[in-house]
Amino acid sequence: MTDLNAFTALAAAQPRRAAFAALDIRETPELALASLARRRGSTKPAPFALHLPEPGRWVAGQGVAAFWVSPDQWMIEAEGRAEENFAADLKQASPDCTVTEQTDGWTVFEIVSRSGAAPIEALLSKLVNIDVANFGPGSATRTGLEDISCFVIRRSKTHVAVLGARSFAGSLWHALETAAQRVRENATSSSNP
Amino acid sequence: MSRLAGGLVDRSQTLNFTFDGKRYQGHPGDTLASALLANGVRMMGRSFKYHRPRGVLSAGSEEPNALVELRSGARQEPNTRATVAELFEGLVARSQNRWPSLGFDALAVNDLLSPFFTAGFYYKTFMWPKAFWEKLYEPAIRKAAGLGSLSMQADPDAYDKGFLHCDLLVIGGGPAGLAAALTAARSSARVILADEDFRLGGRLLAETETLEEAPATDWISALEAEFESLPNVRVMRRTTVFGVFDHGIYGAVERVSDHLAEPGDKVRQTLWRVTAKRAILAAGATERPIAFADNDRPGIMLAGAMRTYANRWAACPSKTVAVFTNNDDGHRTARDLAAKGVHVAAVIDARREAIASWGDYRVIAGGMVTGSRGRLGLTAIEVSANGRREWFECGALGVSGGWNPNVHLTSHHCGRPVWNETLQAFLPGADGPAGLFAAGAAAGHFSTAQTLRSGAEAAQRALNELAIVAALPILPQPEESGYGVAPIFHVPGKKRAWVDFQNDVTVKDIKIAHAENMRAVEHLKRYTTLGMATDQGKTANVTGLAVMAELTGKSIPETGTTIFRPPYTPVTISVLGGGDTGPHFRPRRLTPTHCWAEAQGAVFVETGQWMRAEYFPRQGETHWRQSVDRETKAVRSAVGLCDVSTLGKVDVQGADAGEFLNRLYSNVIDTLKVDRVRYGLMLREDGFAYDDGTCARLAEDHYVVTTTTANAGLVYRNMEFARQCLWPELDAQIISTTDAWAQIAVAGPKSRVLLDRIVDGFDLSNDAFPFMACAELTVCGGLRARLFRISFSGELAYELAVPARFGQALMERLMETGADLGVMPYGVEALSVLRVEKGHVGGSELNGQSTAAMLGLGKMVSQKKDAIGAVMSRREGLAGDMRRLVGLQPVERAGKVVAGSHLFTKGAPQNLDTDQGWITSACYSPHVGSMIGLGFLEKGDQRIGEVIVAANPVEGESESLRIVPAHFVDPEGARLRD
Amino acid sequence: MLIPHPILGSRDAREFIYLGDVRLLDRPDATRSDAEHSFCDYVFLRDNPAGVHRELWFHEQGDRSWLVVTRNTTTHEILGAELARDVALARKRSAQ
Repeated sequence: MTDLNAFTALAAAQPRRAAFAALDIRETPELALASLARRRGSTKPAPFALHLPEPGRWVAGQGVAAFWVSPDQWMIEAEGRAEENFAADLKQASPDCTVTEQTDGWTVFEIVSRSGAAPIEALLSKLVNIDVANFGPGSATRTGLEDISCFVIRRSKTHVAVLGARSFAGSLWHALETAAQRVRENATSSSNP
Repeated sequence: MSRLAGGLVDRSQTLNFTFDGKRYQGHPGDTLASALLANGVRMMGRSFKYHRPRGVLSAGSEEPNALVELRSGARQEPNTRATVAELFEGLVARSQNRWPSLGFDALAVNDLLSPFFTAGFYYKTFMWPKAFWEKLYEPAIRKAAGLGSLSMQADPDAYDKGFLHCDLLVIGGGPAGLAAALTAARSSARVILADEDFRLGGRLLAETETLEEAPATDWISALEAEFESLPNVRVMRRTTVFGVFDHGIYGAVERVSDHLAEPGDKVRQTLWRVTAKRAILAAGATERPIAFADNDRPGIMLAGAMRTYANRWAACPSKTVAVFTNNDDGHRTARDLAAKGVHVAAVIDARREAIASWGDYRVIAGGMVTGSRGRLGLTAIEVSANGRREWFECGALGVSGGWNPNVHLTSHHCGRPVWNETLQAFLPGADGPAGLFAAGAAAGHFSTAQTLRSGAEAAQRALNELAIVAALPILPQPEESGYGVAPIFHVPGKKRAWVDFQNDVTVKDIKIAHAENMRAVEHLKRYTTLGMATDQGKTANVTGLAVMAELTGKSIPETGTTIFRPPYTPVTISVLGGGDTGPHFRPRRLTPTHCWAEAQGAVFVETGQWMRAEYFPRQGETHWRQSVDRETKAVRSAVGLCDVSTLGKVDVQGADAGEFLNRLYSNVIDTLKVDRVRYGLMLREDGFAYDDGTCARLAEDHYVVTTTTANAGLVYRNMEFARQCLWPELDAQIISTTDAWAQIAVAGPKSRVLLDRIVDGFDLSNDAFPFMACAELTVCGGLRARLFRISFSGELAYELAVPARFGQALMERLMETGADLGVMPYGVEALSVLRVEKGHVGGSELNGQSTAAMLGLGKMVSQKKDAIGAVMSRREGLAGDMRRLVGLQPVERAGKVVAGSHLFTKGAPQNLDTDQGWITSACYSPHVGSMIGLGFLEKGDQRIGEVIVAANPVEGESESLRIVPAHFVDPEGARLRD
Repeated sequence: MLIPHPILGSRDAREFIYLGDVRLLDRPDATRSDAEHSFCDYVFLRDNPAGVHRELWFHEQGDRSWLVVTRNTTTHEILGAELARDVALARKRSAQ
């Protein structure tokens, strides 16, 4: 295996993490990503036993997950497999589809609340124009976040992931950090945050 | 301080504040205006044009007069309405628009010169002599003009923005809004209730009316507690909904910490974008005055405001007051003030059939106020009634000319308000924004009983449209009250009567506008500036219309009305900016080697959103030319490394990928073999060239397209357009991979030697890997990579791509491994010099106005197949354009070549008709030893060797240049193919 | 503005880039003898109505679909939105 060292999207040897009053944010460079698109005549793929989700949805499987990107296109996630050639594995699992490596195309931040759903919802209401009340677990969308195009995935009531193009990592971190700092520990959905 | 009884101020706490250097005291719950009145201060400013002493007119955000400079230092803010500034400990405020002091203002001389400053004087004066405008008039006007002054320091506070979604947005928290919110809150609807004030209640806070036999504040508190307990309700105080945008989107500003001495760790203000399925406009109504002679003295205010100060703030401007009214509501002021022990000299009711007195004061029916006295503060008013004139001593006069529903938001989509003859006011028209329902006083319901009912019913109706069932709650049912407004808007007379207080517009000005035929309401506004100040004429517009209607003999509805645009009240630029300032104002994109380059001391340049290394200065280098020349020479003599990750990369796959690309590029792509890369040109459908790049074939059905950095997004968008809209039947899938791969250019005669040291057993010989070959391989002991043998510099060169996380390490490894070869990093400056020396076109040649033929790439437009732009590229207008790309060199070795210069035949006159072309790129060429350039020249390909003139008339420069072929380096391409 | 994306529902218009008249879908046949004339009309002529207009929007910050949106240019009321791909395929089928 190569002896070259990998650096994170924030250009560090170790991933960034920070704790705020109600939220923790963690960079996850170990997540592998690959795009899967159907070709003409291909059957709907089911790689790694994943039931590929409908528009606006995310589904989790065994160590893998998938979210809808566009008509007949999904992004497949694989926990901890960024150092492998995950795209090659996905291509093997879906030979009649178009597979493209995306692991290093994205910077991924996992945001977890320590006190229920309210801090997550308060955070999202500052960053993205999404109706958070209708963005429950299993929702995934792509939208503008501080002028950066990002995927936003609600993994659970208290856990949301934000994916932005890798080159935007510094600006995206700044946006998330600034907003997270302003979410009070006792934020509720009906209070002014 | 001298306070009346009662009020909603917290007398247990005292706040100290300063106005114009003098110290005063107030209580929590006071505004600056109420506290000043409580301290006997009536004069709070000087008027804009005439510098007349002015006092507060209103008790709300419609205030035209009491504009102060709040705070000092970096937070100093001009034109702050004292009526909405919440008092805090240590507040410092200063009056504006006066010098040297509020009491003695030298510029009051303007008032004496008023006959010269009437409406339209801007258009008639300061014109002669012409030269005096720039030297004398303009500087003088600038110095005198404006209202308030800026601190000229950076805003120290943080601002924020956010997005909210709800079923029902209730705009205004007075009785109608509260009833609406209550109705909606008890259903399943998601409700947002916003009010500009720091307390909910609206006019309920200003009246003494009881609800269910208790003070109105009890009812309000009960509702607040209920709202607080419900998860589907969000109450936003100090929040102004300032605009209605499309599709139920509302803009709102929340003043998070304006009321605090300092924000601390809070943001100052937040800009909210609210997406509401339905909304209720419960914005209430604003009172208008009646214009009469000298009606602008400190102490003359709106009757409703005088009542608000007495009831809510326990403050009164004088021990003796009078009221001038054309409706029943004005009498309430007399009744309430008399009940608090204020001496009411009289109620002058302009109506012949005035109502009888409600208290211990006199009512003069059919009376008019025809004058006033007291320059720095009202001392007496002149009343004319039944043929007699009488002077009354009083220190304050409450004037009520009627109430105008706050319809503003209903016209934000160009809807026109409709005149109501009974109410003598404009009501919301039927063509307001979709989904917005007016309720309460904003809809013309003026009694409390009516507003409560109206608010609840409006909410029910709105929610019904969303299939949400909302029951009408049990509401207080106070007694109905009368209004009976008469159409009296001004008192005719000889002396000036003010209509727009803030812009100093009088009835006389409206007469002048009429006389000069500026009679249409839009002309009236602009000619007189009525309604154009920061208050947007909230207390002036209708009066102004009424006066013009009278003069033209038309009715008010026939005269029309100007409509309103956002914002309803002023919004700071800081909050509209959304909170991102300085380097964070927009996102930045960094390349995989950015930090490494920073550590090398690189100087960076913004290229769109990207930061790119421009050059890498070394110890001892003091000028960028030294660095760039060195880098350029290193590439030509040894080997250089440049991060080219920013160029767009698009992964294209599918059974028809090749055919798809064949239709996008002007040149032939479907003959491209696997493991080969080709230079490609893309045209716009109008036939002009717009982007160049490369197309590499990695497998039968797998290509990678590169674009210029600047056009990456545009090319991708066009590719999706072709894929989805033009040829959806083709089997092609695309995705951007710009960020996924770090890509480093390795260029120079020693590039092969260097790469040989890091590829894993890959044959890089010229036979095995010729010019324009590409391959997937591994480097540095197994790292998957892609190698492309392409060059834009005229040297042997490659581009090596690895997954972005390894970009930095790869750069370090190449630097380390190539040290003995003289390897050197180079930035975009040297990159540009190299490509200009080679004659390779770049962004300044591919500027969207050049054709393939002009670029010398005519052969790249295949005549044998259709592609985007192919047909139009052959049209006469383009085919007949004889300008061609040429190289340019100064005749004098030390001569300048300036990009942008225009080219002329030597000896010919220089004008648009004789213009032969222009210089697109220029740089110093270490290879040539002089400056060089590229440019488009009329028939340039036939004029090699000719000496022409490059002119830069703006700077008075001119240079003789020789036309040479556009390849200063390796014209045959031998170096590339070796 | 909100765009009613046919697959994703109501979306903020700021996620989109606007292109223009839907007639851009009708790219002329380059093989015909009057191709240049047709292409000139295709590239340069637009009706620009004050009223209902069918137009192309690109969901750049979303799913990257091209949409055909029917919008009233004077009121901004949006009457519908379809996938441009579906519209294009239908047009091709009817042209055959």
